[in-house]
Amino acid sequence: MLELLADGIVAVLHWKYLLPLFAGTFAGVVGGALPGVTITMTIIVLLPFTYGMEPLAGLAAMTGVYVGGSAGGLITACLIGIPGTPSAIATTFDGFPMARKGEPGRAVWLGVWASFFGGLVGGLFLILVTGPLAQIALAFGPWEYFSLFVLAMAMVAGLAEASLTKSLIATAIGLLITVIGTDPIGNVPRFTFGSEFIGGGFPFLPVLIGIFAFAQIMTDVEKMRQPGAQGEVLAKRPTLSIAHLKVIGEILGRPFLFIWSVLVGIVIGVLPAIGGSAASVLAYDQAKKFSKTPELFGTGHPEGIIASEASNNANVGGSLVTIMAFGIPGDAVTAVMLGAMTIHGIQSGPLFVTQHPALAYGIYAAYILAHPLMVLIIWASTFFVLRLTTVRLAVLAPVVLVLCVIGAYALNNTMQSVYVLLIFGVFGYGLVKMGFPLAPLILGLILGDQIEINLIRAIMTDDNPWLFLTRPISGGLLIASALSVALAIWQHLRHQKRTAGEEDTDF
Amino acid sequence: MRLGRDGIAGLIGLATSLFLLPFSFGLPKLPIVPIGPGFYPALVLVFMAVASALLVVQDMLAQRSSPAPAAEATAGPKRDYGLVAAAFAVSGAYVALLPFLGFRIATVLFVAAFQAVLERPTTWRQWVMLAVVAVGTSAVTYVVFERYLTVLLPRGTWTDW
Repeated sequence: MLELLADGIVAVLHWKYLLPLFAGTFAGVVGGALPGVTITMTIIVLLPFTYGMEPLAGLAAMTGVYVGGSAGGLITACLIGIPGTPSAIATTFDGFPMARKGEPGRAVWLGVWASFFGGLVGGLFLILVTGPLAQIALAFGPWEYFSLFVLAMAMVAGLAEASLTKSLIATAIGLLITVIGTDPIGNVPRFTFGSEFIGGGFPFLPVLIGIFAFAQIMTDVEKMRQPGAQGEVLAKRPTLSIAHLKVIGEILGRPFLFIWSVLVGIVIGVLPAIGGSAASVLAYDQAKKFSKTPELFGTGHPEGIIASEASNNANVGGSLVTIMAFGIPGDAVTAVMLGAMTIHGIQSGPLFVTQHPALAYGIYAAYILAHPLMVLIIWASTFFVLRLTTVRLAVLAPVVLVLCVIGAYALNNTMQSVYVLLIFGVFGYGLVKMGFPLAPLILGLILGDQIEINLIRAIMTDDNPWLFLTRPISGGLLIASALSVALAIWQHLRHQKRTAGEEDTDF
Repeated sequence: MRLGRDGIAGLIGLATSLFLLPFSFGLPKLPIVPIGPGFYPALVLVFMAVASALLVVQDMLAQRSSPAPAAEATAGPKRDYGLVAAAFAVSGAYVALLPFLGFRIATVLFVAAFQAVLERPTTWRQWVMLAVVAVGTSAVTYVVFERYLTVLLPRGTWTDW
């Protein structure tokens, strides 16, 4: 294993992989720092650039985006009080107060070094656990896969901020989109109504890009003429000079907090389709509960920054485990990575590490190397990144949309994918305005085909439907799905009692 | 009986699933697969219909218990949906003209029009910036994708560019 990892590191240090990794990490830091531009959006924008690259170069760039984006959000969170990404929301709680107290350097670098160490521990987990988990996944039959996908959808539907019913409908819409076109076994056309345009179904990536990119950009467009919509600009340039060893000592001097936050991040990352924002908020909450000084949280307490940032970068490692061992995306970012792998003809799943060891260990190496690059980029370009946050939406939005169009067109060099992009852009925006969460829809879209194929395989092997419940792992996963929905119902009822009327849309 | 946003969304979901459900039952059976190509879509549609109906009921109950229907509409900052419609129209025109004008020309026009719609320039300097961003975006993306990444971009049937 160590030999393969060393080979991977040597390979990725070659300029043809290192350059995309650096570019991806830089794009991730910038995209993560820009309020309103999520990591998903950044990776979508980067996607067309990877088409002409070797698989490892493209995946290294995407891994860089993921790592850089997970840390980049803390720059604006600490310095201007606006989290660049949802996963940096909890960092704002203490990072911004600390910066306002005159310690902006300490706030930023506590976050950066916590991200660095948290990410590296997450990487260790990724390297050690992916292989054994893939071995377990190899024992899975179609019943277990079907139940695992059902669990993933139940969890993401239950965790969405909107109503549980709407989350379930959004999941069903995602599944429904995947059945349009020909069926996977007999090529029987379904819901095509004789149209050639939809005869082959809707390609996954244009649908995903359309729904995410348009929904997000248009939601920003509708608010852009509101006062203060362009965000706060720093009045004067603060100094970020800091004794780095002292800051590292502050993090590693709190081993329990650090390890616990990393564990929270990894576990949330491994669970399908939950994401970094839940990890950082949960870790922050846990840190506050375990702290000897909980009253200091929210006032610029270093523990709050460490917990949030260590967990959201460890979460990246956890998400990569899920995609590499099971072939299930941990979130929308890994969904795009999965799509990119498919474009290059690579099937992710339990056999991925054994069939493509050079690529798998190359991804591990890219993940590890992205961390020092991230630190270097933030050290060298914090103020440049902050200046970029003042780029107006009127300039940013059309450029992003052009890259989305290229991303869709270049998939198979036909305009059909671009039309799909636009159609689902309008559709996605409509869903957001109706208050539907997009995360369950995307997961339904990603897993729809696999759910159907595994359902058919299971029934073709043995037509006894009770096997889904009586096979221990499959039954356990289905029980966990039911419990997840039940827990979500309980939480939503409690949430409704607390906040009647107000409703947020999440991406 | 009043229906709110959720109720309308639920009715749309219910109508869509009930419209599509008969088509899934009408799909031909395959001899090798015991459940047929319509089984899974029917399962999804039934699930969607039940969830949509539940959403309608939840909304009706919520509407009955909330006496002030206008409260939601008046709360929160005002949103500019006209701007969104204009932005979608420009995007639609871009996608429609792309195969005729080709990537380079259509992209210059799109980026310029999109910027002008969102923030109309008022000084000559702003117009120059708008033009620089439009031409720059088209040129840089063309060079990077076509020349360096060997990604072919659409050619225009009218312009051959």
